[in-house]
This record gives sequence, structure tokens and C-alpha cells, in this order.
Amino acid sequence: MALYSIKSSILNAPLYQGALNSMRSIKQKGLNILPNANFSDEKFLYYLNYIGKNFSSDKQRLALGVTALATQPFIDAHNKRVDEKTRKVSVARTVAKIIAGTLTGFLIRYGCIKSIKAFSQIPGKGVAKYKTIFTPKGVTDNTTDAFEQYRNAMGTVVALGVMVFTNFLIDAPLTKFLTNTFVKHQELEDKK
Amino acid sequence: MANLFSNFKNMMYKNYGENPGTMLVHTGVLGWILSAMAQVSAVVFNDKISKEQKSFLIPQEIADAAINIISFYVITSSFKNLASKLVSTGKLSTIKIKNYINSKVKNPSEYIGNLNTNIEKDFPELKGDYKAFKNGVDVVASTVGSIISCNIVTPVLRNEYAAQKQREAIARMHGQDKKNEIPKTDKISMDSYIKMASMKYPSGSLKV
Repeated sequence: MALYSIKSSILNAPLYQGALNSMRSIKQKGLNILPNANFSDEKFLYYLNYIGKNFSSDKQRLALGVTALATQPFIDAHNKRVDEKTRKVSVARTVAKIIAGTLTGFLIRYGCIKSIKAFSQIPGKGVAKYKTIFTPKGVTDNTTDAFEQYRNAMGTVVALGVMVFTNFLIDAPLTKFLTNTFVKHQELEDKK
Repeated sequence: MANLFSNFKNMMYKNYGENPGTMLVHTGVLGWILSAMAQVSAVVFNDKISKEQKSFLIPQEIADAAINIISFYVITSSFKNLASKLVSTGKLSTIKIKNYINSKVKNPSEYIGNLNTNIEKDFPELKGDYKAFKNGVDVVASTVGSIISCNIVTPVLRNEYAAQKQREAIARMHGQDKKNEIPKTDKISMDSYIKMASMKYPSGSLKV
């Protein structure tokens, strides 16, 4: 009760209200600067709709990995704070890290999302109980967007738990192996 | 226990069922938190690292984790929130939605782009078209935000921070006053890098 009255007196204080109004006015001015955009292209809207429905975390991880290959080695290769040899090793390590992390990150997310789909079926005749283990209570339709997004979210959370272990078991040794391979290859190229 | 799991499933369904953009931001942050925990525990439970080295490495790993988590959350959620606001106020829309609003609102130019406007609440009959468009924009914004955060901002910040920490550690190894003896512009030699790298667990590979 005391906490509620303190909270309410802060929220009603002229200083707080003034700050809130100023903030709103800044936000509104920011919004006014941006131009309006209205899309009519059917193809564009179809793909946007498709992405909203189907772009789950596994695809996001893949997109992150592919774009990482285009940006992160470039950042490391232009790190002026280290000498040239170090830069080469750090680029090799970054590329190895991205390949190992993206491969395991994508495959484990993809596998977990698929598994959750298999174990979140709608209860009914001929459906074994274990196949409904991840089905939320009261859900009777598995064709809605909301249910599909729930499966993606649950699959991602399970995948993150799995990856805490695979990080040490797969990512770290694979990164080490790939780094050594790339560095050796680089050394051979330099000798030529 | 069964009740707890049931509540968890319902919470996931309620919160993320209709918000794929928010789901990508939240699971991304969770991924970074788990990576950070793995990084820190890799140092804490590694017997090959001495107590002295741990006292240097653990705060460094925690700072690394803070940079990763904060920059991911701030940048990705800002992109997502801005995109959501543009869609909910009608600044970003489809011709179909715009034409519908124009036919229903007295002064469309005042309605569209007003901070108080919320198309989803004001026109529930538009739900199908509006939701499909909003989910698409949210997912694209979250993904672009996460790419900028993970692949551009975070590596630059981390390189900056790592270089500063390495300079300090090298100065300490040489028994010098870190601020006075090692000028900021000095490059780190291969020998020093190898020494530092051998002390440090390859934590970068732990990004999930």
C-alpha cells in the first residue's frame, strides 16, 4: 500500500509529467520527420508475409552467419591495433568461429524446432500421449499462425539449452581444428 | 513440477504466439546470456588456469558478456520497436490498409503518424491483413537489428575493449605503469598476442 502511494505520487509529480510530455513531443517530432511509405507490390507483400510466418530462429542464425562472413573478417583484417601476422591469425580464427558456430547453431535450432513440432500435436484419437508433451493446455487447432510461432519459440528455447553443451563438445574443438587448418593454409600460401 | 511446465508452455504460447519479432529478440538475448554463462564457467572451472589469471580473466569475460548482451538487446529491440511503432501509427503500411483508414477516418493526415494512433486497437476488423504485415516488418527489423549488432557493432566494441585490456596486461607483465609506459598507438606484437591468447580461453567460439 505504501509502495503504491509512493509510486503514484512519483507518477503524478509535475516534474515527472513534464519530462514525460517533453519525451512524447521529441518522439512525435522524430516520427514526423520520417516519410510515410505504403506498399502495393503484391510480390513484395507476399514475401513479407512469408517471412513473418516462416522466418524462425534457425533461419535468423543462418542469416547472421552468412552476413558475419562478409563483415567480421573484414573488421579483423583492418584492426590497426595489431601487427600483420596477428591480423592474419585473428581473421582465420574469426572465419573458423563463424563456420563452426553457424553450422551447429543452425542445425541444432532446426532439429529442435522440428522435434517440438513432432511432440506438440493436438490430443485426440490415435495420438500417443508423448506426442502431446509440448502442446499447451486448451489448444485445439494446430494450423494457426500463433501455434506455429509457439512451436518455433519453444524449439529455440530447447535448442539454446542443448547448445550450452554442444558449445564445448562441438563448437570449441571444431573452431580449433578449422583455425589450425586455415593458418597452415595461409602459411603455405605465404611461402609460395 | 508438471504444473510448472504447463504454465511455462502457456506463457510461451501467450507471449510469443502472435509476436515472432519479439520472440527473435528475446531468444537472441537468452542465447547471449547462456553463451556468457558458458564463457565465464569455462574459466571458473578450468584447472589449468591459475588463481591469478582467473582474477584477470573472469572480470574480462563478464565485461565481454555485458558488451554482447547490452549491444544486442539495445540495438535489436530499438530496430524492432521503431518498426512496430511505424506500423501501428500507419507511417509504414500497405495500400489496402491505408485506403481503408482513409475511408473511415475524418482527418487521415492527422491520424496517420500520430503517436496515439494504434491501428490494431482502432480497427480490429483489419486484424488479418494488419497482423500479417506487422509480423513481416517486425521479423525483418529484428533480423536487420541483430545483424548490425552481432556483426558490426559488437565486434568493433569488443576489439576496442580487448586491445585496451591486452595493453594493460602487457604493461603489467613488464612491470610498467600501464598508463604512462605503453602509448595508446602501440601495436601489439605477435609474441605478446600469443602470450595473452594462451592465457585466454577461446570464449568467442561459445556464441550459440
